[in-house]
Amino acid sequence: MKNKTHIFLLLLPFLGISAMMCVSVWNVAVQSLGYIPAFGLTNLTLEYYKEVFRNPDFLSSVLVSLRIALWSAVFACILGVALSMALIKTQKARGATLYAIRLPILVPHAVVAVFVVQILGQTGLIARLGYALGLLEDYTEFPQLLYTPSYFGTVLAYLWKEIPFVAYFVLAFMSGISDTLGEAAENLGASPIRGFFEVTLPLSLNVIAKAFLIIFIFAFGGYELPLLLGSTLPKALSVQTYLSYMNPDLLQRPLAMAMNGTMLLLSAAISFAYALAIIGLNRKIGGAK
Amino acid sequence: MKRIVALLLVIVMVLGLFGCGAKEKEIDPASASWDEILAAAKGTTVTFYGWGGDENRNNWLNTTVAQHVKENYDITLEVVGMNIDDILAKLSGEKQAGSNKGSIDMIWINGENFYSAKDNGLLWGPFTDKLPNMVTYIDLTDPETLNDFCMPIDGYEAPYAKAQMVMYADTAVTPDLPASAAQLLEFAKANPGKVTYPALPDFTGSAFVRNIIYELCGWEQFQTMEADYDTVKAAIEPALEYLRQLNPYLWNEGKTFPESSTTVDSMFADGELVMAMSYGPFSVATGIDQGLYTETTQTFVFDNGTIGNTNYMAIGFNSPNKAGAMVVINAIISGEIQLTQYAELRELPVVATEKLSAEELAAFDAVDLGKGVLSQAQLLSHRLPEMPASLVPIIEQIWLAEVVGK
Amino acid sequence: MRKHPLLNILLVTALCCIFLPLAVVLLWSVTGRWPWPGLLPESYTLRTVKELFFGSASLPKLLLSSISLALTVGILGTVIGVLTARATELYRFRGKSLVYMGSFFPLLVPGTVFAMGIQITLIRLGLSDTVTGVILVHLIAAVPYCITIMTDVTRSVGSKLEQQAQVLGATPLRSFFEVTLPSLLPGILSSVSMGFILSYSQYFTTLMVGGGRVKTIALVLVPYIQSGDRALSSVYSVAFVGSALLVFFLFEGTIHSIQKGEDSL
Repeated sequence: MKNKTHIFLLLLPFLGISAMMCVSVWNVAVQSLGYIPAFGLTNLTLEYYKEVFRNPDFLSSVLVSLRIALWSAVFACILGVALSMALIKTQKARGATLYAIRLPILVPHAVVAVFVVQILGQTGLIARLGYALGLLEDYTEFPQLLYTPSYFGTVLAYLWKEIPFVAYFVLAFMSGISDTLGEAAENLGASPIRGFFEVTLPLSLNVIAKAFLIIFIFAFGGYELPLLLGSTLPKALSVQTYLSYMNPDLLQRPLAMAMNGTMLLLSAAISFAYALAIIGLNRKIGGAK
Repeated sequence: MKRIVALLLVIVMVLGLFGCGAKEKEIDPASASWDEILAAAKGTTVTFYGWGGDENRNNWLNTTVAQHVKENYDITLEVVGMNIDDILAKLSGEKQAGSNKGSIDMIWINGENFYSAKDNGLLWGPFTDKLPNMVTYIDLTDPETLNDFCMPIDGYEAPYAKAQMVMYADTAVTPDLPASAAQLLEFAKANPGKVTYPALPDFTGSAFVRNIIYELCGWEQFQTMEADYDTVKAAIEPALEYLRQLNPYLWNEGKTFPESSTTVDSMFADGELVMAMSYGPFSVATGIDQGLYTETTQTFVFDNGTIGNTNYMAIGFNSPNKAGAMVVINAIISGEIQLTQYAELRELPVVATEKLSAEELAAFDAVDLGKGVLSQAQLLSHRLPEMPASLVPIIEQIWLAEVVGK
Repeated sequence: MRKHPLLNILLVTALCCIFLPLAVVLLWSVTGRWPWPGLLPESYTLRTVKELFFGSASLPKLLLSSISLALTVGILGTVIGVLTARATELYRFRGKSLVYMGSFFPLLVPGTVFAMGIQITLIRLGLSDTVTGVILVHLIAAVPYCITIMTDVTRSVGSKLEQQAQVLGATPLRSFFEVTLPSLLPGILSSVSMGFILSYSQYFTTLMVGGGRVKTIALVLVPYIQSGDRALSSVYSVAFVGSALLVFFLFEGTIHSIQKGEDSL
């Protein structure tokens, strides 16, 4: 009994935060179904979802956002884990180098957009270097990397921030594994590369998958970067949604909320896929033991 | 453990105390006399919400205007930088939640935003008939001031400054400046990939496209046009055709447009574009002063004229200090403050010239606008009226569907 | 120690990629004009620096409010993280996996969606336009990380030492503060700094919930980025990153010296 009170008290602040999340999701859900009494809308209907899905621009927005999320998450995880291992193996998991690696986590996304334009834009630093080296005669010859429907610039901007994030996120865990089991494997004669791929990496997959999911969802719903670096058409899902939310015509509000609802459903589906993968993964590791 | 929980509760409660609103002396601002309003406004704080991306305007509001209202009316002006979309979203959220005491007193607004904000009950008013300076300084017979994008202001907003769409280019790079849409097409052909305009619904991009529509379809028919997608599309077809012809010569071949007018400005400053456009008719002078543009940069307009409009100040429906807001708005439309706005910010004033005293008139004439700009007289003689606000979002939709990447 | 040439190259590349843009921004912050194709600016200006220090935004006040807000979020988030982690790692109860999932929940809802959804409720509760409201929504962003970090650390520290101390007669509270807390300290440190960072760089939620009344440096910076004034947005970016770093070092330095002091006792 005493334990139960303890547990409850310990979880109380957490439950408060969770309640706030639920309220927000509830508000989105209710409004997307057309229930906004303040605007005289009181009939529950799926009409707004139907209308949103009939819009081809919206569908291409969904695809664009999924693509941005996928590329950002995949490359951030691969390069982030490599960076993390580099820090561990070169004994730089503390001190100045680590601080430098953590720097991008501090920088807000809007500033990263400034970086990307200044360096990768058609008149950016790299194009200027190309000109100085005689590789280009005019900036129009430099490939357009930003503002294109491929969202290349957006993905690169995410990577600048998220690779160090992954490195930092998995660092503590991987360094623990690597220092104990990885070294043990190496002492038993495994090569460092084998030690990494057969011991450290599989045991760290849980943490890496978590980082993958975080970045995926974040890039999927991110707003500033696709706004500042993206193309006119198709727009990223969050940008499209916010445009509707901001539409001067307030009766567009349920439409915006239906887009938000779609974003939530997709995020939920992805999280579900992640949960299944993790369960499968843990079984496999458990079985291997 | 309980101690930690208790500590948390205390922290939350203490933080709750931070949230205190502005106090208003109890008068009914809708029926009070001007003297009562002045008395009620004394010692209060007024918040002014508007776009915060212009350092000069921020400084002007925070120093010149703030000092003026502090000294004359004992009002503290708090300027809050926020995009109009965010402001309206905030107001509609408050409306939706049934909150009758918000935090937004004054709003910088015009056009379609005014139209929908007023329609949706997000603004308080009418109030302009209470302001003494409306009579003293503003031409109350001028249809341009009394109609915001062809919508009567109905006393719900007071004029703030006048804007006019202008274009500019560096005459050292391109000596010949286009004077019509047809010449602009030739200009783009001669400078492939180095001309573009901001993606709609950016204010400036949207005005540029409307300007092209005026060039090719005339402006008169739109003043009374019904806000219907097919009607508008049929009427602007020649302009759409022109814009599609323009696309292959534009930056990135018209597949993508820069997301804002300020991006276009930066691209022009870097030499990435040979031409840019602005809603601030004298912005080139500021750019030259700040060293962003070369000394040879020159403002120009089409021979047939360019779109001009007025921007306004309104009051939020749930403003906690309506009396204070009225006093500040009244101060801003005075000759004195409009003069500082003209001199410090180089914005076209909203005061009527014939209502100014000889001294005030001389002071306006003495302002040095700087290099690379057209005179006030040149601008006003090439000024075309706006379209009805309800057509603007429709044109933006049509542009997305019929022009981008086509 | 074996050499790792490849890994070293990777590290150096990473550091270059991190510092190059920062250097460019530093240069841009005092640039007047920088036209194509110059590798360096054509003219320099101190307009931006003047604006930063003597302009209307009042830098010291802005920094103070941003930093104290972000620190509060970091500390509160960490307290929630410590409490939640203790519940899940040291006790057995039904629904534990629900808590694990729940702690992850805020990361699964895109920030824009959350902000648009919660706006009405905060207005109704009178929390919109208040510091409390902003702290609450920033906590949403910070708590998942704080819980994750604290859960990992709590799990690895375990409760054995604490239990031993209790067996030896210490009260539960004393054993927590004197035995467990010091070993949790590195985790607490990274949790607070994570919370600090997440709050410090929030823009969208601060704008929506703070309504412009709660002013942070990010709130002043972003309009300048949007308005395309590259010199001014660069100078604010420099101020932003610089101040965040400063707090960071002060904070970590203090903790380190505390730790050292304890070790020598």
